[in-house]
Amino acid sequence: MRWVALLVLCATGVCAQTTPDLEGRVAELERKMRQLDPDFTPSGSPADLSGRLAALEKKMEDLLSQRAAAPPPAAETTPKPAETAAQPALEAIPPAAAALQPVSYSAPPEKADEEHRLPVAGYMDFHLNKESGDSFRPDFHRFVLLFGHSFSDRIKFWSEFELEHALLEGGEETGEVALEQAYLDFLVKPYLNFRAGMMLTPVGIINERHEPPAFNGVERPFVETLIIPTTWRELGFGITGDLGRGFRYRAYMISSLDASRFDAAEGITGGRTAGFDASFRNPAKVARLEYAGIRRLTLGTSFYTGHAGFNTPGINPRVSLAEFDGRYSFRRLDFRGLFANTWLNRAGELNHRLMQQSGINPNIARQMRGWYLEPAIHVMPRRLRNDVILFARYEKYNTQHRMPDGYVPLDQFNRSSWVTGVTFKPNADVAIKFDYVFNRNKSSVVRPLDGINLGVGWWF
Amino acid sequence: MKRLCLLLLCSAAFAAQKADSGKPDRVITIVAERFTFNPSKIVLKEGETAEFVLLSDDTDHGFRIPSAGVDLAIPQQSKGEARVRFVARKRGKYVFECSRPCGAGHNLMRGVIIVK
Repeated sequence: MRWVALLVLCATGVCAQTTPDLEGRVAELERKMRQLDPDFTPSGSPADLSGRLAALEKKMEDLLSQRAAAPPPAAETTPKPAETAAQPALEAIPPAAAALQPVSYSAPPEKADEEHRLPVAGYMDFHLNKESGDSFRPDFHRFVLLFGHSFSDRIKFWSEFELEHALLEGGEETGEVALEQAYLDFLVKPYLNFRAGMMLTPVGIINERHEPPAFNGVERPFVETLIIPTTWRELGFGITGDLGRGFRYRAYMISSLDASRFDAAEGITGGRTAGFDASFRNPAKVARLEYAGIRRLTLGTSFYTGHAGFNTPGINPRVSLAEFDGRYSFRRLDFRGLFANTWLNRAGELNHRLMQQSGINPNIARQMRGWYLEPAIHVMPRRLRNDVILFARYEKYNTQHRMPDGYVPLDQFNRSSWVTGVTFKPNADVAIKFDYVFNRNKSSVVRPLDGINLGVGWWF
Repeated sequence: MKRLCLLLLCSAAFAAQKADSGKPDRVITIVAERFTFNPSKIVLKEGETAEFVLLSDDTDHGFRIPSAGVDLAIPQQSKGEARVRFVARKRGKYVFECSRPCGAGHNLMRGVIIVK
């Protein structure tokens, strides 16, 4: 009797676990089969769970075997024979064990009208800009193609080739064709890698993250145009790495700025060499430290220092720049902010020398400063694929913040702007933008113009 | 003896049920965003089964572990997630990286799985 009771107890225990588990597994497998094969229809008696499960497992195994036998998609990286020959130490459970669904996607299955990836990446920016009293001016601002190549898992190439303003014509004031990036990465350890070539200077938010869907506003922030001269790229080499716990760094030695092209309105912006006629006699040093250890929070700080006098004989002023920035998202709210200050020593002597050369006083400041804050709100529910973002950005930027002795600041370059607008994203990689820009300055003589901007930008 | 056999039979039935339930030892969510994985360092115990839930906070990314022959697409924000399950068979460090070009910092969008 005790034997029978024990047997019944065990059998009950097994059945108590079996029936709901079987139902759950059958339902799960049927759901996944429908993802893999939209024409799939369940078969078998609803009561015969074991039979249905066995049939489903066989069918899924067949389907996965067929897919495994098919040639891989072009974009997929095929593992090297050396990697696949030996049993990997960290092993993905093979698809043959289909009942456990080792590799599964919860994304919807690919449909005929789904996006298809090309072997190159890129981004584009088309704008309509209007200043008060003027008409709309269309501008295909940027057409950028990006190419990369992996020589091996440790040596990788990356490049960015850009056409600005749609046209380049010899001898005319038109657009520009530029090599924005072209560098090799030598990946050694997570915390220590080497990089060399044409590189983006790691300063601020936008300079290294300037894909149009990655920021609000048709044009980039003024502070990250006039105080931090994006897109700022130079020739050089350096080290990069991930220090763990969310800390990453980049430290480069790069070609220096050209002080002969600094001015009052745009500060150091004109001094970028962009790799053309650059000098490495006194290479500049730049470093950035970032913290991204908490989801949706990124904090960063950058420092730059270097002499810039290779085109101003006898005067070799030092440019230093310090910058702090942060981005944070909380539920449907985004915040970003940045502060940057630039120092230029021997600014008085530089002004004097440039005035001797050109006859015009460039009135370059010895300090330039700017900051901005930008709150934004996503007004559509997160579950929807479309996104509408309302934003407002306040910017204060003064390229005449501190003047050398004997020079008076020009108040029209002590500026502030409110940029308010909306970004509509029908896809995470496509941004349709509108904004209104209220420009102000401290001058009682020169009044700035407000502006309206429309734009569409995309990344692929 | 018969009693022992019966008990073993019952135990085996329970054990088979548990194994078939397919629950990993750990489920770890990894969020990809230009140009970082968060977390970028994952520590597993030897023999542990871990399931990674891969999400993007912006564009499409990839999740490639060269030493395991794995290369998955991570769908862009609000277009779902990718999942992959591993058995950590041997101690060591295994680098994972983004395999879908995503911008200027793509080459350094990497992380490491440490099996202890």
